[in-house]
Order: sequence, then structure tokens, then C-alpha cells
Amino acid sequence: MAFDAQLAMTDSIAKITLTGSLDASSAPRFKEVIEQAAVQSPSRLVLLMKDLEFLASAGLRVLIFAKQKMGAKVDIYVVGSQGPVLGTLEMSGFHHSVYIQDTYADA
Amino acid sequence: MRLQQGVVMKPICLPATLDSLDEIGKYVVAATTEAGLDTKAAYGMRLAVDEIATNIITHGYEEAGRSGEINLSGVLSDSSLTMVLEDTGIPFDPRSQAAPDEDDLCLPLEERSIGGLGIFLVLKGVDDFSYEYAEGRNRNILVAKRQSVANS
Repeated sequence: MAFDAQLAMTDSIAKITLTGSLDASSAPRFKEVIEQAAVQSPSRLVLLMKDLEFLASAGLRVLIFAKQKMGAKVDIYVVGSQGPVLGTLEMSGFHHSVYIQDTYADA
Repeated sequence: MRLQQGVVMKPICLPATLDSLDEIGKYVVAATTEAGLDTKAAYGMRLAVDEIATNIITHGYEEAGRSGEINLSGVLSDSSLTMVLEDTGIPFDPRSQAAPDEDDLCLPLEERSIGGLGIFLVLKGVDDFSYEYAEGRNRNILVAKRQSVANS
């Protein structure tokens, strides 16, 4: 499935819905959306990943970029991630730094 | 693209550009499906091949100012699925990149280095990985064991 990233700002919360395959060919699009969110100085970043079917290291690097760009105080929530994609996040230690949840209120 | 045990899957040859990652992924999915790998092993192989192909494209070709192709083939035996990527980019051993260690993996994201994650996922994703350079060609070889077959 082709990758897509859709940003929605609600109050100061940036929600990005990720779908499809996130690898080196699609990571620049994700990074672009992160930058669009960052200029609005969100207090929280919520990544809706239920329909993200593939996640490579290029996508993980954009998550690192997001944290470094927005600042350590901006919490990142990963919502709905499952199966091997969730496994990749955990294997890479990202569960130490982001909140992983099945659902998100108002998501 | 039907495979039989011990038969070499028809290789594909694609331009060494990031746009080829999608076709590479489809080829790997077809191979892992035919091999009967479970979800985790199949995903691990797809991820590992995607990471190696990305390395070849970015380090072996683009950063070196070269253009070229990637050849990808699969071999299914009774005990394993082997995927082989070959290219004529600059010699590049993915194992030369330091993978993050346990301490690195526990660092907060804002302190994490962006390097080494790719080879880390390769090594985690497959049962065996090797690299060789011969006659002007890089060859990356990835192996997944066929547990269900081995246990039957």
C-alpha cells in the first residue's frame, strides 16, 4: 500500500495518521509532515499507526528527528501499532521513549 | 513466480533508486509466502532486504555519484529461504556500520544516534547474513530458516 501521512492539529496536539509502507522512499514525506507540525509548536505528537503495515529504519530515524526537532518535553504517542511494526519499535528500544497505546481518546 | 523446493526464483533487476523498494518488497513477499515463513520471519526478511537495498542505493550508488542496478534473487531449499542482492556500486560492507548496543537502545530518543539502525534490523530480521565482494560486485546474502518445514 502506498504511504500517506495526514496531519491534523487539534488545539496544541498534532495528530498524524500514517498508512501504508514507511521506508526510505516514503520517509521524506513523513519528515515533511513532522516539520509542518513542528512549526506549530505542538505540546504533544500523536501518531495513529493502525494502518501502517511496514516500518523500516528510515521511518525510525524520522521519529528521532521529530523528538529532536520538537524537544524532549513534547511527548510522542504511538497509537494502534500492532504486529511486526510494533515489534520493530520495541526491538529498537523506542518503547522507552514513546507512549504506546492501543487507542487514543478523540483519535 | 511459483517456486519449487531447491529451485532458484526468477531474479529481478531493478534501477538502483529508492522508487524500486516497492517492487523489491513485492518480490520478497512472494518468496516468503512461497516458503511458508510465519508472519514474524516473513516480515523480518522483507525488512532486512529493504534495509540492505536502501544501503546499496544510498551508499553504494547515490552518495558515490553512480547509477546502476540491483539484482535480487531467491533460492528455496528444504530448510531455508535465501535472498541474494547483487550490485556494482562501490564496495560497501553493511557490517562496517556499528549497530546500536543495549545501552544505546535504552537512550531517550533525543539522545539517540540515527546511525546503525538499518544493520541492526537486518541482523535481527534474518537467521544469517553475509557479505562478499568479488569481481566488481557486492553480494549480500540473507537466510531465513523454514521452521515449519524443519519441524514437520
